[in-house]
Amino acid sequence: MKKIPLNVKQNIAFGTFRLLSLLVVAILFWILGFIIYQGAGVINWKFLTTSPSDGMTSGGIFPAIVGTLCLIVGSSIVAFPVGIFSAVYTSEYAGNGNIVKFIRIMTNNLAGIPSIVFGLFGMSLFVNTMGFGDSIIAGSLTLGLLTLPLVIRTTEEALKAIPDSFRSGSLALGASKLQTISRIILPMAFPNIITGLILSIGRISGETAPILFTVAAYFLPHLPHSIYDQVMALPYHLYVISVSGTDLEATRPLAYGTALVLILIVLIINISASFLRKKLQKRHA
Amino acid sequence: MLETKNINFYYGNFHALKNISMKIENNTVVAFIGPSGCGKSTFLRLFNRMNDLIPDTRLTGECIINEEDIYQKSIDVTNLRKKVGMVFQKPNPFPKTIFENVAYSLRVDGVKDSRFITQRVEESLKDAALWDEVKDKLKKSAFELSGGQQQRLCIARALAISPSVILMDEPASALDPISTSKIEELIHILKKDYTIVIVTHNMQQAARVSDKTGFFMLGELVEYSDTKKIFMNPEKEETQNYVTGRFG
Amino acid sequence: MKHTENELLALKEEVGQMWRLVLSQLEKAKQAFEGNDIELAREVASREKRVNSFELKIDSDCENFIALYNPVAIDLRLVLSLIKISITLERIADFADGIAKYVIDAAGNTEVEDLKDDLKIEPMFDAVIEMLSNSYMALESENTRFAGKILARDEIVDEIYRNAIQVLAEAVRNKKLDPENGLKTMLVIRKIERIGDHCSNIIEEIVFYIDAKILKHSKKEEAKD
Repeated sequence: MKKIPLNVKQNIAFGTFRLLSLLVVAILFWILGFIIYQGAGVINWKFLTTSPSDGMTSGGIFPAIVGTLCLIVGSSIVAFPVGIFSAVYTSEYAGNGNIVKFIRIMTNNLAGIPSIVFGLFGMSLFVNTMGFGDSIIAGSLTLGLLTLPLVIRTTEEALKAIPDSFRSGSLALGASKLQTISRIILPMAFPNIITGLILSIGRISGETAPILFTVAAYFLPHLPHSIYDQVMALPYHLYVISVSGTDLEATRPLAYGTALVLILIVLIINISASFLRKKLQKRHA
Repeated sequence: MLETKNINFYYGNFHALKNISMKIENNTVVAFIGPSGCGKSTFLRLFNRMNDLIPDTRLTGECIINEEDIYQKSIDVTNLRKKVGMVFQKPNPFPKTIFENVAYSLRVDGVKDSRFITQRVEESLKDAALWDEVKDKLKKSAFELSGGQQQRLCIARALAISPSVILMDEPASALDPISTSKIEELIHILKKDYTIVIVTHNMQQAARVSDKTGFFMLGELVEYSDTKKIFMNPEKEETQNYVTGRFG
Repeated sequence: MKHTENELLALKEEVGQMWRLVLSQLEKAKQAFEGNDIELAREVASREKRVNSFELKIDSDCENFIALYNPVAIDLRLVLSLIKISITLERIADFADGIAKYVIDAAGNTEVEDLKDDLKIEPMFDAVIEMLSNSYMALESENTRFAGKILARDEIVDEIYRNAIQVLAEAVRNKKLDPENGLKTMLVIRKIERIGDHCSNIIEEIVFYIDAKILKHSKKEEAKD
């Protein structure tokens, strides 16, 4: 058999790679297009600003949007400080000892736990043992725990991306470790940390299982009054009206509309993340 | 004056510096030369305890700066590093303005007097022969400077806190010849006010800038004497082979 | 100014000092010879040591400069020519010393006194002194325009030298001069002639340094234009 020339081989290989990556984009657009096609019809001002009515076969999703935003804010408050500080500790202070290795392994394991398990755990600890009941605080704590490994890992990556020369440069000028981290390293890592945080927000907003037993209300046509109240949330609402509504056929368009809103929220968050990072990087470079 | 007595240094089990004793007079330039991995950089970093940052290292012997053993328990490392400045191989300005780069060491030292800071920044930049090039863009990012300018900024940054010793770890190896010669000129000027210890791969550079030269090999200080002697008539054969390029 | 340039200037200045010393040695040797001044001759002889130590100093400074600064191009030419010039200057000073020793040795000898005008020793002295001081000016001003002129003076020196041989031989033949004295005088004249040659070498070194041209062993005519 004749040998295939090297450049032909290469063309075949890269052609395949290109095809596969285009396939990914195509699938993404397919999903998006499908959701938009199905859901765009129901989206209007009323849909976004009113509560569901008629056994959730009509009306809007306003309480669910507010609920999801509440959970985003709540879980961020829980996860960000803990995540960032523990990442700073493990990557800047703790060196490379056994404890740190253990912490890393555990963090990775935490990331591997299915989210439904977090839900169960949150229910038993926050809802029952700590007595918060089904509430924003219980849901936020659960979601916070869920997203913690992601926050830690992205923060650690961001810190690791800062070359050591900046650390030694600062230390050699007589700065303490704390000064070095707070004045040089964190500001430099900030763009990447913030991106990681925003991505984790995106993840939080889409989670269903952890809020199932800890915060989400099946139907609650009013807004929460305090952090001890239940709320509706977009993903759970979507689940509910897709599988257990009173009239599934009637609610189908509403479900697609809800999905579209959820996707748009995540999309806006992601785009703003990359926008923010570019802006911050420009300022620091 | 800097002095080491019977310094031994270990990375884990690796014996990196073997029984090194050396005296460095004030206001002289001392160069360390030797093949890669000979321990010259490790030895340099003893003087501001940068080796402390590397885990699993061990030191025996005394390292004395101005009659004080800097490895005593009572020594505050951050204070030590304010007295012993350092310039690194690759220019490493912070992602801040030119002004803030130079002001950094003063700020971390807790200086609040902005008039004093402004004055010190100007003096340091002048001492580092950079003032004329940057005086109109102090508020610009340090990254806008060329590599050679960045390195002189790093020197200015080290000068701001008024150290008595400046350690330079191959300060010109990442620079073009013109920038290199500017750094070398600067070393000649700085010698009047500072004691300078410089590690270099470039033997000609050691010859040009230093008063005394130490030749390191395999963790040992093979020969330490006047630079003229090292390059004209070295005592040891290893030194001769190295400076003539017959080895290493 | 750059550090290397300063070092080079210092080297040049050192050679300049040596130069001035050798010039004054030569002038004093001439005066001692012309006036049979034994005191002055002794002074020349005693200052010979200073010239020697100058040479050693310049030698080692140049060596160090080459070892430390690895000069190239014009810097290298300058250092190389400074080394050679200092060696040559030292030789010239040796001759001056030799002449001074002759003056001391020949004290009270009047035989040669009458011949001095015929031998044209004074103009010969003047010619080499002028060559030496002019070549110094050439180095100071880094100007080789008068190199040809300076080299031309050497031919006058050579002519006087050839003439002096005739005069001395004549005097010895006519028994006006003791052969031993004649030979000793001959040696002095020979020394002055050699000084002229050495001055030519110096100017050749200066031309090598400034114009990177090698005049040595080429025809003198070329240098004149």
